[in-house]
Amino acid sequence: MGTYILKRIITIIPIFLIATLLTFGMINLSPVDPAEAYLAAAHIQPTEEILAQKRHEFGLDQPLFVQYVNSIVKICQLDFGTSYVTNKPVWEEISSRLPATIQLTIGSIIISILVSIPLGFLSGIKKNSGIDHFSRFLSFLGASIPSFWLGYLLIFFFSVKLDLFPVEGTGTLKHLILPSVTLALPLIALYTRLLRGSVIENLQEPYVLFARTRGIHEKAILGKHVLRIAISPMITGLGMNLGKLMTGAIIVEAVFSWPGFGRYFIDAVFNRDVPVIQCYVLLAAGLFLLSNLIVDIVQMYIDPRISRKGRQYP
Amino acid sequence: MSNIINKKQYIYISLMILVFFLSLYGCSDKSSENSKGDSNESSNILTFAWPRDIGDLNPHLYNPSQLFAQSMVFEPLVSYQDGGELKPHLAESWEISKDGKEYLFHLRQDVKFSDGTNFNAEIVKKNFDVVLKNLDLHSWLGFIPKVSKTEVVDEFTFKLVLKEVYYPTIQELAVVRPVRFLGEAGFPKDGDTSKGIAKPVGTGPWVLDEYKVDEYATFKRNENYWGELPDVEKIKVKIIPDAETRVLAFEKGELDLIYDEGVISLDSFKQLESTGSYQSSVSEPVATRQLVMNTNKEQLSDIRVRQALNYGFNKQAMVEGVTSGVEEQADYILPTNFPYTSDVEATKVEYNAEKAARLLDEAGWKLAKGTGIREKDGKPLEIELMFNSAESIQKTMAETLQSEWAAIGVKLNIVGVELTTQVERFKANQFDMNFFSNYGAPYDPHTFVNIVATEGFGFREAISAYPNKEELLNQIGKVQQTTDEAERQQLYTEILGSLQEQGAIVPISYIKKIAIYQKDVSNFKFPANRDEHPFTGISVE
Repeated sequence: MGTYILKRIITIIPIFLIATLLTFGMINLSPVDPAEAYLAAAHIQPTEEILAQKRHEFGLDQPLFVQYVNSIVKICQLDFGTSYVTNKPVWEEISSRLPATIQLTIGSIIISILVSIPLGFLSGIKKNSGIDHFSRFLSFLGASIPSFWLGYLLIFFFSVKLDLFPVEGTGTLKHLILPSVTLALPLIALYTRLLRGSVIENLQEPYVLFARTRGIHEKAILGKHVLRIAISPMITGLGMNLGKLMTGAIIVEAVFSWPGFGRYFIDAVFNRDVPVIQCYVLLAAGLFLLSNLIVDIVQMYIDPRISRKGRQYP
Repeated sequence: MSNIINKKQYIYISLMILVFFLSLYGCSDKSSENSKGDSNESSNILTFAWPRDIGDLNPHLYNPSQLFAQSMVFEPLVSYQDGGELKPHLAESWEISKDGKEYLFHLRQDVKFSDGTNFNAEIVKKNFDVVLKNLDLHSWLGFIPKVSKTEVVDEFTFKLVLKEVYYPTIQELAVVRPVRFLGEAGFPKDGDTSKGIAKPVGTGPWVLDEYKVDEYATFKRNENYWGELPDVEKIKVKIIPDAETRVLAFEKGELDLIYDEGVISLDSFKQLESTGSYQSSVSEPVATRQLVMNTNKEQLSDIRVRQALNYGFNKQAMVEGVTSGVEEQADYILPTNFPYTSDVEATKVEYNAEKAARLLDEAGWKLAKGTGIREKDGKPLEIELMFNSAESIQKTMAETLQSEWAAIGVKLNIVGVELTTQVERFKANQFDMNFFSNYGAPYDPHTFVNIVATEGFGFREAISAYPNKEELLNQIGKVQQTTDEAERQQLYTEILGSLQEQGAIVPISYIKKIAIYQKDVSNFKFPANRDEHPFTGISVE
């Protein structure tokens, strides 16, 4: 297990390199000059002198290769550079906004787990019942409503009309609920369907029949065996989505004025704030890799067959 | 047995969830008290929404500091008022030497910074000097590169000496940045504000009180203010990046005021207005939305084609329809409430499709059979219009023009690009037609004509087919250097008139600011300076 994890961590390095190269390349393919973007955002007339000065300040007057190598060397020293716009260290800017985004992500994961496990499980064991139809309806809804629109609808009904929640801001649990629900609904849709499908599949497995013939209580079969195995694809889904959740929070953060790093990233893209974009992409890549690793480990724990296979055929 | 384990697990999971929620709750305990506090004292707080964080309020720097917030804390020597009138502010009066190069400012003697220190010629000089130290950064502001000397004459007299005559100096002293004044305590240790300031200490009516990045900022009244003390005790600026959310927060009553250009969609503005539950107002023109034609392009080099395009669309209907009547049809390339712009002589263009068709016929562009598009020497009359894809007004106007001009046989291709690309292509002269708007008060008219005359902004190249281009450039050069008021007026009238008469710069509409506020807000007034805050004199019941 230890070597396995170590191997996985080592593979992260080339993936990071590729990610930096891709972002760097794409930013430079874009016809927009960061120095010009800065001046446009600051309402300054872009005269040649000031453009030259800004380009020099941002290090954009050096050859591309030098720029890239410099940035990699710095990143290796955990220095993500200074934001073109705010003139502050990028890491400081991002890490101060990270807690808000993590808070939102955890909130939405909790909501989606609390809703989708009972709903998916029940609609799996009671196929075509009322609850199954309801979960199907909810899944269609969750999969097809764009999150910004859902956000507006929730604000309109629960905040403006019913006055149950504040429209924007942070601070209390009340502030957290609407944005978390908005972020959670697509996940609920996905996990409910995943769990339902896998419960139905497992119910037809020979081990269920065997357990029933042994006279084991139905509750125990469902709760201890079926759910435990059926939940595995859902955990994979969760892992795949953890990175996506953090990055997907961008829109929700904008709609609910949530002070997370997604909002900061959007501004950075418009301002061509290259160091921020690069740091964000690295962070997102790291999150995806890390969450996949965690999921794999958790799955080994839940379903020992996976790791056993790994041991037999290394 | 299994049941017991299940129960144990169940309890364990429930506990975990509880801990999670508690920890989330713990992250965020403080402001529940705050929000309660808000409602208690809200009687004298004005709550306002802004799309971006207010920034670090450095009076000598630009992004990410927001202009309105800088103008709340820092004040100019001269203020720009309605109709372009320049009034004394921190300077009580000023004298300009005969040769137009020396400016003597007599400062107000009763001004204190918000930390209690005195405002005097010493600190004025210190601020000017630190700005001049970063000349490249600020050289866009016309008078700054021309300054040769700053001098403290006595405690309350300050002298500014220029290398050459530059009449807009006084007007440019009214801008929000970088020529406003930071108190001694605000300077960093090394004295160089271009890297940051210690704290925002100004002379303005407001003092930054509480600030949470990306969430809100509260300003409290400066009790030592030399001028009229604001009626409102506090102003809370909530940072709400999304326009629709701003509207919803306003409807719910979490905001007292929404103000600026493009902060909410015009549809939302009209919808809020139509409920009758709020007060609303629309400002005087702050800038002109223009259409610029590139006369380097063969089709557009002919003045008859340009005029035909001017006559070939119903401007009034377009502006009215696209902006829901918020913007006003523009007859001149600069709004007439700016200095020197009130008596420009230019032909008012009335919509006349027949005349447009006749002009195109005369220019040799004949309708081809079958296609409905005019041709000349086998080439179709095809033009490309570039617009900012993020701006719905530009997009809808482009579509309207496309259909209007199709009716007179002109094929208009419209291309949406990002703002920065739009600016770059304009500068590189890679366009047929483009939308542009001038900088507005207090920068015009001199900045606009200067952009027209300077290489590298796009205009100078765009008007190269003008037969009187050289004369225009000469006049523009002269207008900034003349010390004679009458001559200056005469020059502006001629420059703006002939720029427009040649038809490559088409005035479309006058851009206006909107404001919508709750019924308990009174005395709202738009600032004459486009970048200033709108809180002067405002009160909340």
